[in-house]
Amino acid sequence: MKRRYFLKFIGAGGIGTGLGMLFGQAIKPPGAKLIPYLIPPEDVIPGLANYYASLCTQCPAGCGVLVKIMDGRAKKVEGNPLHPVSGGKLCVRGQAGLQALYNPDRVQGPMRRKGARGSTSFEPISWEEAIGEVTTRLNDLSAKGESDKLYFLTPELGGHLGKLADDFMAGYGSSNTIKYDLFDYRNLRYANRASMGIKAIPHYDIENTKYLLSFGADFASTWLSPVGMSRGYGEMRQGGHTGRGKFVQVEPRLSLTAANADEWVPAKPGTEAVLALAIAKEIVDSGHYKGSDLKTWKKLLSPFGLSYASEVTDVDKKRIRHIAKEFMSTRPSLAVGGEGISGYSNGVSGLVAVNILNHVAGNLGIKGGVQANSNDLFGGNDADTVGAGIQTLINAAKESKVGLLFHYNNNPAFTTPGSAKAADALKNVPFIVSFSSFLDETTALSDIILPSHTSFEDWGDDFTNPAPGFQVATIMQPVVSSVYKTRSLGDIFIGIGKAVGGTAKAKMPNDTFATHLKASWKRLYAKDKGMSASSFTFETFWRETLARGGWWNEKSAKKRKLSVSTRSVARHVSKEPAKFEGESSKYPLYLLPYAQAGHLDGRGANIPWLQELPDPITSVVWDSWVEINPKTAKRLGVKMGDMAEIESPFGKVLSPVYVYEGIRPDTVAIPIGQVHKLYGRYAEKRGANPLEILPSTVDTRTEVYALNSTRVRIAKVSRPGDLVKMDVYTDELGRGIVQTVPTGGQFKKSSHH
Amino acid sequence: MSGILTKLKDKLQSYRVPGYRTKFEYKWTMVVDLDRCNGCEACVVACYAENNLPVVGKRDCDISRRFSWIRIERYIEGEYPDVKVKFIPIMCQHCDAAPCELGCPVYATYHNQDGLNVQVYNRCVGTFTCATYCTYDVRRFNWFTYKWDSPLEQQLNPDVTVREMGVMEKCTFCIQRIRVAKDTAKDEGRKVTDGDVQTACMQSCPTDAITFGDLNDPNSKVSKLAKSPRRYRLLEELNTDPSVIYLKRVMDEKKGHGSSHG
Amino acid sequence: MKNLIVNFIILVIFVVTLGVGYLIADQYIGRAPEQPINFSHKIHAGTNEIPCMYCHIYAERAKVSGAPNVQRCMGCHKIIKTESPEIKKLAGYWERQEPIPWIKVHNLPDHVDFTHKRHIKAGRKCQECHGPVETMDRVTRVASLKMGWCLKCHAKYNVKNGRECWTCHI
Repeated sequence: MKRRYFLKFIGAGGIGTGLGMLFGQAIKPPGAKLIPYLIPPEDVIPGLANYYASLCTQCPAGCGVLVKIMDGRAKKVEGNPLHPVSGGKLCVRGQAGLQALYNPDRVQGPMRRKGARGSTSFEPISWEEAIGEVTTRLNDLSAKGESDKLYFLTPELGGHLGKLADDFMAGYGSSNTIKYDLFDYRNLRYANRASMGIKAIPHYDIENTKYLLSFGADFASTWLSPVGMSRGYGEMRQGGHTGRGKFVQVEPRLSLTAANADEWVPAKPGTEAVLALAIAKEIVDSGHYKGSDLKTWKKLLSPFGLSYASEVTDVDKKRIRHIAKEFMSTRPSLAVGGEGISGYSNGVSGLVAVNILNHVAGNLGIKGGVQANSNDLFGGNDADTVGAGIQTLINAAKESKVGLLFHYNNNPAFTTPGSAKAADALKNVPFIVSFSSFLDETTALSDIILPSHTSFEDWGDDFTNPAPGFQVATIMQPVVSSVYKTRSLGDIFIGIGKAVGGTAKAKMPNDTFATHLKASWKRLYAKDKGMSASSFTFETFWRETLARGGWWNEKSAKKRKLSVSTRSVARHVSKEPAKFEGESSKYPLYLLPYAQAGHLDGRGANIPWLQELPDPITSVVWDSWVEINPKTAKRLGVKMGDMAEIESPFGKVLSPVYVYEGIRPDTVAIPIGQVHKLYGRYAEKRGANPLEILPSTVDTRTEVYALNSTRVRIAKVSRPGDLVKMDVYTDELGRGIVQTVPTGGQFKKSSHH
Repeated sequence: MSGILTKLKDKLQSYRVPGYRTKFEYKWTMVVDLDRCNGCEACVVACYAENNLPVVGKRDCDISRRFSWIRIERYIEGEYPDVKVKFIPIMCQHCDAAPCELGCPVYATYHNQDGLNVQVYNRCVGTFTCATYCTYDVRRFNWFTYKWDSPLEQQLNPDVTVREMGVMEKCTFCIQRIRVAKDTAKDEGRKVTDGDVQTACMQSCPTDAITFGDLNDPNSKVSKLAKSPRRYRLLEELNTDPSVIYLKRVMDEKKGHGSSHG
Repeated sequence: MKNLIVNFIILVIFVVTLGVGYLIADQYIGRAPEQPINFSHKIHAGTNEIPCMYCHIYAERAKVSGAPNVQRCMGCHKIIKTESPEIKKLAGYWERQEPIPWIKVHNLPDHVDFTHKRHIKAGRKCQECHGPVETMDRVTRVASLKMGWCLKCHAKYNVKNGRECWTCHI
């Protein structure tokens, strides 16, 4: 290159850069803005987090949480360390609640149906219009003298919100509040009331027990109060105060909880109650039970002899005897019954059997056993009603007895068995008002949507049930301003009530739900001695309570005797195992639909974190599957990941196969929660929904659907499967990754067969 | 002469012998009690929320692009009906002799003064060497710049960088929380004390299986737990000298399955 | 022909460097963008000797020092010099209840987790990084805000862990 050219190039470069920089300085947009506060909020320092105590509503357990707020946005949900249930801990669903708050698929404001029912074609309207429309409909109905044709379908509404809704319904003149959740423990409440006469769900003291016998209670992922129970579980194992507790799980399928058990007893599906009573009989016969009513117990339990039980349950005689021996000799011991015993056609009987077992072993009312909970702060228990259930609503809708339906936050079109035909029944209802925040299968059927706040945007409270042995009330406060044009459900009720007028208006003394809540708590404060003793004025009490996250008083724990009498339980004891639909020759396999930690009854399916969270046992993401024992799989000619057709007498679904050692060869299991037809972009059109092929069998005592109530058959289909698992091996390949030590002398080695 | 040699040797060894970092102010350590862990995965979601981990979708999960800094591995052993399942949470082990640190050509991953194995995003050029060298498969690579569907991005933690395409990342022991604790401690003119720092996974764990703290403090909870007879470290025979200590699961295993050496 | 090629190359170089210059301009020329209100630090901090942290209220407590909130401005200017055209602009913002969209002068690169709090607590003067603001009518950036510049100071004051990457980069 010639020097001249080189110099020319350099020159061009230099001048270019220089001009470019000047040019840049002259015309470049000035860059980032620095937007100050207009008026600085008192307690906000930019970039520093504030924590507000509130309540988690992702499941009915009622954990107290702390929400981390930075610059007006919710960043993280953590357990409230002061709260007696959560104790600073939180489960997957609780933490993922944030993605429900900031979900892109939320209903963003009031909407009115435009197209045909179920077409999801809605047009936005204003709140005034929406309230006006609902009011007109209500007035039309009451003008016709058909006030009682108003139905309100809701999950259990905790605390004062539930009370307000009841007031509204009563004021309007309808007694048709239908409470429904796929997992709402109606069976448990019914069984406890029938056998022990208690209204509130008792405290199962896993923490202090030394021998836990669980009948299908999946407390590590979903049952009752997963956080509280898991905390207890950790302490039971390595808390150090009493030595390591032993844990035995009875369940046809090795669930997440059973995976942690020292022993897994895969009894035949539907026979768990028989097993529990056989163990109880062993205990009574051994002379461990010293009650004066020994004779009547012996008589009641006499049909449950070892040979009968062993034959029915498919559990070895020696093993039943061994469990009975350990259960009565280890003090204290505790038996709990979850979905795996209550989810049958005779669910109540199973739970009664568990109570009997606890009674004869002497576990009622003791530390490390079953402790009664006192009534909540209302003086009664809001959850004691085992009133009309969802089946009542479906029947009423079919017979056109429903004139107007209010619907909030549960999704019966998805969570009821296919044969119950809930969606078809709801189409008979002339006008449906939905208060849901998401456009799910049921909300899509509604005529008008008045979307309510999530728990992060709303006021509320909850009387924790089950409480940990003493009264716990948790308060929910708005921690962020509402993301969309939604409203508090309490405010909606107050708005409608005031607009309707009459008694409904009279029942709404306050203008907003926030003031209503505070006023209601003022009344509680005046009534409750513990509260009024804690601070001089209500204002300080209220401030402290909000900062703490609620009110609880360990001193309010009252030791109460609990017992089960033969007279009260006799009618619930039956020798027969649970019934299953479908002849065993045609449909050889039991079907167990079960709740997965992330999705519960399907409500977690629209949360990306939970979709991408591998199932703890199968490690599958973004999908559902059918669990099949390797022996059965071999017989059917299916391999891991193959697509299979699962057919019951009520329909069929397609699902990829997961070959799993931890399930009985005569049983298959499918998790609930996937394949929403509607529910936002993350939930839709993936996996299989086992509920579609279930019969509408209910336990007639409680109207609770029996999830485990049908047999199925399985056939391979040629379509390729697309199961995505996060694991590669299920074996350690001898690398000693999870090392173990034997249980040693803490308790005698159990007899494996 | 021999005196000088010994001194030299000591000097050299002080940089090679595991545990040399005791001379530093803190030695962050995690203890995971496998007998408490019930595999519920609360820690995994906590980590997603705290550290701005993106959700990649089903297809990318299938080709191992899932971002979980902490994962629960589970092993299913035995045949029906004698099935045993074992869980273990695995996150970056913050090895004192970390293989990943040897590989990085641009020193984007190195050991800091608190015994943490750290990853500097703005240095990383994405050679993938560290992930290849890692014994525990805990490093995650940003194949794309992941997006959050609005308004999900409002949840992102401003204390943690949102990583871009071409950068390697992994568990940091929630260093942003360590920094907040140090900041507060400095204001109050003291050292960080036990319990000041909670990692997101530890905080959420319902069974209290995870404990985090300073091993240099003899009175800390981790120091006490680290003396447990159930103590072991993951793949210790590889001499990576991890900062994560596991406590063995108490369980009667059938003979022939797994092993409890160590 | 050859000349044509050379001229073409010159043109290419010119265009490319013009672009490069445009992009890197901010890094080398002291930034002094025009602000929505012609606010003078010289009058406030210089002549009237108002302390920095009277307006930048978060500097001692948080990562950011905080642009003064509009209420704070109006606190004085409800009474002082209300007839000046610039103050009228301010009053306009206040009446409309709008924050003032100031333009950032000191914009740190991504990946830096800088905190004002620790620097103030360590006794650094604002002027060490921001220059003699009290003499400026319109604020100009005096420091490059590049890593080398940071480290020079960290070395000078012998900052503990001052050369550690994760002290600033999270």
